[in-house]
Amino acid sequence: MDFQLNAEEAAFRDEIRTFLRRELTPDVFREHRDPSEQGMWTAAFTKAFRRKLGAAGYIGMGWPKEYGGGGRSRVYQAILWDEMEYHRAPGLDRSMTYVPNAVMAFGSTAQKADLLPRMSRGEVSFFVGYSEPEAGSDLASIKTKAVADGDDYIITGQKAFSSDAHMADYVWLQTRTDPNLKRHAGMTMFIVDMKSPGITIAKHPTLAGWTHHSVHFDNVRVPKSAVVGEVDQGWKVVMGAIDFERAALASPGLVGYQFDRLLAWCTQSRDGSDRPIDDAVTQDELVGLAIEAEGARIMNYWLASLHARGQYPQHETSLALLVKRETARLFDEAAMDLLGPYAPLRAGAPHAQLGGEVEIEYRDHLYFQFAAGGFDITRNVIATRGLGLPR
Amino acid sequence: MDIALDEDQIMLHDTAVSFAKGALTQQQIRDLETTENSFDTGVWKEMAQMGWAAAAFPEQYGGAETGTLELGLIVEALGQGAIPSPLFSSVIESGFLLLDAGSDSQKDEWLPGIGTGDRLMTVALMEANGGLRPQDIRTRITSAGNGFRIDGTKVFVRDAGTSQGIICLARSGDPAKNLTFAIVPRDAQGVTLRRMPAAGGESLWEAKFEGVEVNADAVIGDVGTAWTAAQRLLLRGAAYKSAELVGIGQASLGLTLDYAKVRVQFGKPIGSFQGVQHHCAEMYRDLEVSRLLTWQATASLGGAFAAEREISMAKAKVSQAIPALTRTAHQIHGAIAYYRDYPLELYYHRALAAQAAYGDAAYHRRVLARLLTSDMNAFRGQDPHELPVHYF
Repeated sequence: MDFQLNAEEAAFRDEIRTFLRRELTPDVFREHRDPSEQGMWTAAFTKAFRRKLGAAGYIGMGWPKEYGGGGRSRVYQAILWDEMEYHRAPGLDRSMTYVPNAVMAFGSTAQKADLLPRMSRGEVSFFVGYSEPEAGSDLASIKTKAVADGDDYIITGQKAFSSDAHMADYVWLQTRTDPNLKRHAGMTMFIVDMKSPGITIAKHPTLAGWTHHSVHFDNVRVPKSAVVGEVDQGWKVVMGAIDFERAALASPGLVGYQFDRLLAWCTQSRDGSDRPIDDAVTQDELVGLAIEAEGARIMNYWLASLHARGQYPQHETSLALLVKRETARLFDEAAMDLLGPYAPLRAGAPHAQLGGEVEIEYRDHLYFQFAAGGFDITRNVIATRGLGLPR
Repeated sequence: MDIALDEDQIMLHDTAVSFAKGALTQQQIRDLETTENSFDTGVWKEMAQMGWAAAAFPEQYGGAETGTLELGLIVEALGQGAIPSPLFSSVIESGFLLLDAGSDSQKDEWLPGIGTGDRLMTVALMEANGGLRPQDIRTRITSAGNGFRIDGTKVFVRDAGTSQGIICLARSGDPAKNLTFAIVPRDAQGVTLRRMPAAGGESLWEAKFEGVEVNADAVIGDVGTAWTAAQRLLLRGAAYKSAELVGIGQASLGLTLDYAKVRVQFGKPIGSFQGVQHHCAEMYRDLEVSRLLTWQATASLGGAFAAEREISMAKAKVSQAIPALTRTAHQIHGAIAYYRDYPLELYYHRALAAQAAYGDAAYHRRVLARLLTSDMNAFRGQDPHELPVHYF
């Protein structure tokens, strides 16, 4: 048991910090974040940055060597994701985190040979097509259908709440192939090229200020080679991929950044005010936040340690995700509290504090409470899969 | 970085859990709470024979030199079984204090017997003001003849009634930190003990010292230098009490899950209701966060880096999370666990006692607040980022 990075891991952490600070200067932030999208990184910069990560060997560094990876322990991957999140780097999404894991676990030999080298170079963007207008937390109720037609399948349906669909080269697509089987059977996973005829994307502005997407599939013809795993066995692929997803999303970097930002603010005086950090109530609030942040940090590295030991934690990944996201929301709430009258000021407003970031995040992080298994769904998963309570 | 138990640690923990579950019946544990001892001498001897009392001692004192984390796993298991023992008073307080600051002859005299379970010791720290700061210690130790004389009253002394030696922290001069530890035989003239019955069944005592005379060689270390050793004692106590609380939480969650799976109401096991499931998920969440913070705390006792931050974070979190967990456990059980013959009450009371020991949550949050304002880098932990300054 070792709670600290060893010398080699610490050296890697320093290397990543240096890389990120060099690549993501304040000028780069100003230039490549889209004000009309609430300061999200532009799609073009995100893709370019992911290629840089690939060229530096970072994306595939924790993958097995047989897939062209660096074969390093999952701890290194956790460090990379942690630092990327802390530095708010672009590109840290499914295309470099959990979709490659899922392709390795469930993809065909041809899919692996085609996709993994390109993914490790950061050349491929995915969106994940699980949710539909009528199927959110209950993914077994999807209706998008794939019907066999000679050597192809014809896919028709609608996917909703589709993050990053506008910049995706492929969709990791959950479909129903046999509507006569029981709910959890009869589903099949596909990898579909987004250039296929019949795919259209609709835009939905969010209250967080950025644009979300839904995707229509109208008689989209895909070859049978696009099937992932076995036909009608897609539920197993969804569940496996979701475990990888939760582990990737449990990174504590955001929480670390939230803490440091708030701490820095508390050490400053504004126009002759007392420094917040000199106030006992504020100190106690910061202490409480630091303890929760430490818990989220250790939990993530615990998960990485289990992965590094070759174990496959399941409900533990749900737990780590819940802890990270609840902790992030705790910080959103505490920042609102500590910033007092400045809290509602929007980015760019006169006297806005911390670049207006905490007001943006107070809205943006709402999705933590419902996306990729919301808080309540995650508690259900922990209770049934983890604690063995009856359904 | 490797935050996972290895095979040896898992085996040690499993062994300790299965011992703790079988060593005493619930009724025996309950009966012990009202006895002078509060623990079962036979069970303590068995634990010592398994090497748990001396586990972390050096070989020359009969120990196995196991790590600080491993002892934490044993404490966790004993908490899970609600097994009372003098492990805190005799080993974690006294044994480690002697190893830390005692002379060779003091170690030779006491440690082997502590390790075999044949002799018991305890430490008298706190006084009626309830504080854990150096200025809160008012019991005086003064020169008398060739030795010293001790006058004052200590409270919350664990297992004083059964310990052969009481290590008393006393004031040897006016500066706040001019404090001295001295070993007092329990049967010395002028020592009066009164039991302080408390929730959780631990044997706590008031120890009055009135003109108690001890020889010069009773002093541990140099006169006036005890405070740093006392601080380390408090940190060890807080880390291992956190481990005990984790075991208490584990047992409480286990009882709750077992019950929720079989208790049928409205035609279904209550564990199938999401209201109950979400409570259980929250209990598990808080337990696992507590466990990880505690592992870090007990591991840090043996490590090179300063442990105060890690231990205070653990004790602050666990002291709130685990008593809350036991309250929810009772809520899910309902009336059945309100009866004394249901085991949950053991844990409910032990959680209350353990959160108060070696500094409660508020105490450790104050420690952390002081660290925040006096040494921000230490507060922020290992290799923090540079604070973001681009806003200012």
